[in-house]
Amino acid sequence: MTALIAVVMALAAISAIGVVLSRQTIYSALSLVVTVTMISVLFLLLNAQFLFAVQLIIYAGAVMVLFVFIIALLNPDAEDRPALDYRAIVGLVAVAAVTILVFVTARNGITYNSGGFRGQQVGAASNPYHTFAFGQDAVNAAGNVQTVAGQLFTTYLLPFEITSLLLLVAVIGAVYLTRRTRGVG
Amino acid sequence: MISTGVFPYLLGLSAFLFTIGAAGVLIRRNPIVVLMSIELMLNAANIALIAYGRFLNSVEGQIFAFMVIVVAAAEVVVGLALVTAIFRLGRELDVDDLSEMSE
Repeated sequence: MTALIAVVMALAAISAIGVVLSRQTIYSALSLVVTVTMISVLFLLLNAQFLFAVQLIIYAGAVMVLFVFIIALLNPDAEDRPALDYRAIVGLVAVAAVTILVFVTARNGITYNSGGFRGQQVGAASNPYHTFAFGQDAVNAAGNVQTVAGQLFTTYLLPFEITSLLLLVAVIGAVYLTRRTRGVG
Repeated sequence: MISTGVFPYLLGLSAFLFTIGAAGVLIRRNPIVVLMSIELMLNAANIALIAYGRFLNSVEGQIFAFMVIVVAAAEVVVGLALVTAIFRLGRELDVDDLSEMSE
């Protein structure tokens, strides 16, 4: 299990480097497919089954198809590899420094709450999803999708609806930006 | 089940992906790759959110990550529409050339 996590995390990190350093845009896109797939495996291992499915369908499916389609349509030229001058070295040092800093902080400075699900006091008896007796680690047991959906459609219903408005705005913006300015359209 | 010992490594991976994405936004000139780097940064944030939700026994992390995915999808749609609009004006696909707003 630990070896699996190590391999998945290493593949995610390596392919993320590939996204930034590939000269051809299409290789960047394919590296990003590997990255988002590995991240979805991490979601599954973290008991986020719903997010695992969403990550695969939305990211590895829809978003990456859109990227590859646009790359095939526009056919951008290959870019020169960034030279290893002092700015690149400063950037590499910054990446390493932030990563090590966060890792050391997380290793030494965080205490874990092993108590019950803290959403259990929220809500009334009229809401069936709030009457569950969430025991310790109940959120992370199987049936996680039901728990997420219960919270999403009760406590977080307004933000959920606002995201649909956001998607509508994005669609209108995309249609406006890509419309024909002259000719038949 | 992942043990809590993995949690620092997950946060480290999240920080690594975020900084790699930020570096990509800064050093790459192709707007499509810049958008992909932004996707990397949003995914890094999602890893942190879901890891925290997992180890604090809360579903809020997953709900937040879901919202982030929706925002990322909307951002990609508008961003790629902008790239297409720039290309249709006959411009080179290079973010260094798109500096009308600063002049």
